[in-house]
Amino acid sequence: MFDAEKFIEEAVEELSRRIKGKAVIGISGGVDSTTAAILVHRAIGENLRCVLVDTGYMRKNEIENNEKMLTKLGLSVLVIDAKERFYEKLKGAVDPEQKRKIIGELFIRVFEEVAAKENVKFFVQGTIAPDWIESGGGLRDRIKSHHNVGGLPEKIEFEIVEPLRDLYKDEVRVIGCKLGLPPEIYERQPFPGPGLAVRILGEANPESVKIAREACAIVEEEIEKAVKNSEMSRPWQYFAVLLPCKTVGVHGDVRVYGAVVAVRAVESLDGMSAAYSKIPHDVLERISVRITNALKDEVSRVVFDITNKPPGTIEYE
Amino acid sequence: MSRPVKVYVVDNGGQWTHRIWRVLREIGCETKIIPNTTPVGEIDADALVLSGGAPRIAWESPKLGCCTDYLDHFHGPILGVCVGLQLLAVHFGGQAGPSEVPEYGLSRLKVIEGDDLFRGLPKEFLVWESHNDEVKTVPNFTVLAMSENCRIQAVKHFEKPLYGVQFHPEVNNTEHGEEIYRNFVNVIKSR
Repeated sequence: MFDAEKFIEEAVEELSRRIKGKAVIGISGGVDSTTAAILVHRAIGENLRCVLVDTGYMRKNEIENNEKMLTKLGLSVLVIDAKERFYEKLKGAVDPEQKRKIIGELFIRVFEEVAAKENVKFFVQGTIAPDWIESGGGLRDRIKSHHNVGGLPEKIEFEIVEPLRDLYKDEVRVIGCKLGLPPEIYERQPFPGPGLAVRILGEANPESVKIAREACAIVEEEIEKAVKNSEMSRPWQYFAVLLPCKTVGVHGDVRVYGAVVAVRAVESLDGMSAAYSKIPHDVLERISVRITNALKDEVSRVVFDITNKPPGTIEYE
Repeated sequence: MSRPVKVYVVDNGGQWTHRIWRVLREIGCETKIIPNTTPVGEIDADALVLSGGAPRIAWESPKLGCCTDYLDHFHGPILGVCVGLQLLAVHFGGQAGPSEVPEYGLSRLKVIEGDDLFRGLPKEFLVWESHNDEVKTVPNFTVLAMSENCRIQAVKHFEKPLYGVQFHPEVNNTEHGEEIYRNFVNVIKSR
């Protein structure tokens, strides 16, 4: 049986032994990286520097909110605005693996710059089991290169530390809870490292990010409202994806030709298998109406994804 | 046996190899994942689970390393999952190859023989699948379960403590999956 308290005790001991001097952690404010940060903070205290990269692919208000929340937890947070660098590097990139690799490499370069400036030799990541399993290697096929594993460049200037490597999301949540994180963090739905860039099929440019960001916000708001009103239970993960195709519609007797947004929501324990969420039609309808109205100039159709994992993956790229 | 049962997971490169490890740990086994190239003489386990993996049974069986050695020379029970089942069938004179209708994700399992692996479980339940290949014939084994699109979903050897499943009991979405592993552990304990 998984013993969270024993895990915490052993992890903190191991981290204090292994990390000499200062360390930098790549943090997003999600369950995994925040839990890893608290563990390392327990081990080395003020010697931990948390770097929150604004890739330009985070959700609505996410950077501001997460910076506040992480600072409140007693962590020393450095926000780096790398939006323009990410947009520039991803220009023209449409292949999902190419996008993930570009993002993985750019993340590391940003962290290396911080590490060099602060003379840090250790770099912590909140990598969990599905990240390295799905990234493949040896006999295992590559399903997708997670930015923190398969997306890493070959040459890296520091030693990588991954205290949660053998755990799944549900186990990390238990640890996060035991470490005293607030439920808003340890119950937070997963969000991929490459962010909205993998929820935009095709080129992830500033214009398409705006659409995906707004659509994701609407899906989150409507589902959370419905959960609050006891219309449904909260899915494991729920979001919108901007598809790379257009369809015809009609607005006030005038033809429109706009993009398609897919709504995805799944039930899972660990992300390694999933069933699509049976969301009530009333809730789906509210999502559809809001997206097609709020994004009327961009989106003319909303579809609901009914694929399990396997054969689909949870995210689209 | 008073000490925990030692069940090792032989890694054939599956997406769910680590899930098998987790389920075994959760039901109280002492467990670890070992490469499928580990010499049989170095394995000090009571039983083995051969994981699934991407290798195609008809033309990539060398990628399954020493698995056939385990089938011949390992002293304890073995459970083959997915390609592990397919290897069991082929090694003991059966046939396996591309599925007529591959199954991915949800499928309904129909239990034919409720002994051993399916003890105490319903006659039908939902399981998670992910296979391009399937077992076509399996002499020397009893077929324990089937699904609509795959006739051989679970088998048991006539004499040896060898079992195989085509579906994935280690996947959280599979109903009664943990109980199937518990039943396998009971087989180990009863020896």
